[in-house]
Amino acid sequence: MSEGENRKLILYVAGQTPKSLAAISNLRRICDEHMSGRYEIQVIDLRENPKLAREHSIVAIPTLVRELPVPVRKIIGDLSDDEKVLVSLRIEGE
Amino acid sequence: MSEPSAELRRRLLEAEETLRAIREGEVDALVVGAIDREQVLSIGGDPEAFRSFIEGMEAGAAVVDDSGRILYSNGAFARLTLRASAQPGDTLADLFDPETARTLADCVESNREGLQDLRIPSGPRGAQKFLQLSVRPLQLGLDRGTAITLTDVTERIQAEREEQAERSARAIIASANEAVLVCDLRGIVTHANAAARAVYAGDPVGLSLAQIVPMTFVDATGLTGTADLLEFAAAGDAIQGIEATAQNAPAAKDFLVSAAPLRGAGDEVNGSVVTMVDLSQRKAAERRQALLMRELDHRVKNTLTLVLAISRRTLLKEQSFDDFQTAFTARIQALAATHNLLAERSWEDLSVRDIIDAELMPFVDIKRPRIEIDGLETRVQPRAAIALGLVVHELATNAVKYGALAREGGHIRISSARPRTQPDDPLRIEWREHADRLVTPPLRFGYGQTVISRSLEYASGGGAVLRFEPEGVVCDLAVPAVDVVDATV
Repeated sequence: MSEGENRKLILYVAGQTPKSLAAISNLRRICDEHMSGRYEIQVIDLRENPKLAREHSIVAIPTLVRELPVPVRKIIGDLSDDEKVLVSLRIEGE
Repeated sequence: MSEPSAELRRRLLEAEETLRAIREGEVDALVVGAIDREQVLSIGGDPEAFRSFIEGMEAGAAVVDDSGRILYSNGAFARLTLRASAQPGDTLADLFDPETARTLADCVESNREGLQDLRIPSGPRGAQKFLQLSVRPLQLGLDRGTAITLTDVTERIQAEREEQAERSARAIIASANEAVLVCDLRGIVTHANAAARAVYAGDPVGLSLAQIVPMTFVDATGLTGTADLLEFAAAGDAIQGIEATAQNAPAAKDFLVSAAPLRGAGDEVNGSVVTMVDLSQRKAAERRQALLMRELDHRVKNTLTLVLAISRRTLLKEQSFDDFQTAFTARIQALAATHNLLAERSWEDLSVRDIIDAELMPFVDIKRPRIEIDGLETRVQPRAAIALGLVVHELATNAVKYGALAREGGHIRISSARPRTQPDDPLRIEWREHADRLVTPPLRFGYGQTVISRSLEYASGGGAVLRFEPEGVVCDLAVPAVDVVDATV
């Protein structure tokens, strides 16, 4: 797989709310199990800097943004549904 | 579809997805506010979850308003206050006895900015329950309230008391003179005081008492050993004061042993307490007494035999009853003089000088220059003392009747004849009279001469030789070495 096919994922959380903590944990688990070595995760705490919500027009927290590869996709919630997450993160042609 | 409309459609789907996620509780925070003034707002905090948590707490928790009225309380709070339930609207006075309610009301009023712990006894009379009460101010929206928590610390208090009781018990055990060993139901030593060293040289704790202190019991039928003793006690029976021999004990072996069940708070038997008193001193005293009794019996018999012999021989030799009475009485008195000395010294050994002093006392003032005693500090055993006493008495009697003490001017010198160099050398004493006149041997020898020459012959090396020299009588005495107490040889 080429470098350009790597996923760049941004998870927006709000401090340590239960759903935020669950989303961080679920995302790491899913990536480890299904995309080992082919992803990059950035966690942004909007409680520390709410203005960062603007870039991806985040309203609900937690929200996961698949920034790369385009098109950008969003998944709202604590990422507890593996199937749903994998469908949203799937790259065309895979 | 044109690109703007596709973007619009995407944003619509995203808005719908966001609403769905909020509705279905998949998010717990929202970004709200105008551009540049965004804030994160937590939503969906589940009050039921917190209520469940509070209800599940072991500690009692309640919130009261300014007037001490219950706004909320959990089940533990009602349980700890011994109420079926505590309803919102109840006052502190409804839940607590008047004194506790007053204390609580004071706390509510006076501790709004702090935390105060109280211990209050609760529960039916006799069965005390100890609660730790914590009062803390609480902001209830716009109103102020007070959070009260109750923690049951009865077990902790009881544990502290038990620990205190155990410390006291340990102090008592430690200060006991007798060995005290506490065992569990398996016979393993759990506590032992310092005196227990008398029964086991090392640290007995953690070891089996039956193995480290095996005992045999003198008169206790049915008890075959230490394990039996422990079983008796563990079964709830007390055993008091039985004599035992602990063959592995480091020094003394004889003990007076008692064992009692060790009862816990619920009167159940947790083990046994064994006390062991050292009997060695008592046993030694008993043995000494028995020895003394045998010795006394022996001496009485010897003395009676001696008295009978003196009586018989005196009777044979004396011419008249008056002579017999005089001679016999004097000899018995001579015997008594030595006996008195021995009695004063608990039948220990006597110095030769003391014996001679006691025997010469009836005849002459020993401090006057007619008697010269040189040395003779050597000590002899009671058997030699009695014989020597009789011999000296006979020599003195003769000296008063016929020899150096019969007239003014004579004197007697008694001295050590020759120093002892070997342990089996007899102690040699010379009795030398200076009569101040010519002395001739007597024509007839009485019983006195027999006493002089024979009394010290009871053991090897002992005896006496009487010589009649012109200046006076000379007697060479030899006390058998076996009865001479002399540390220098």
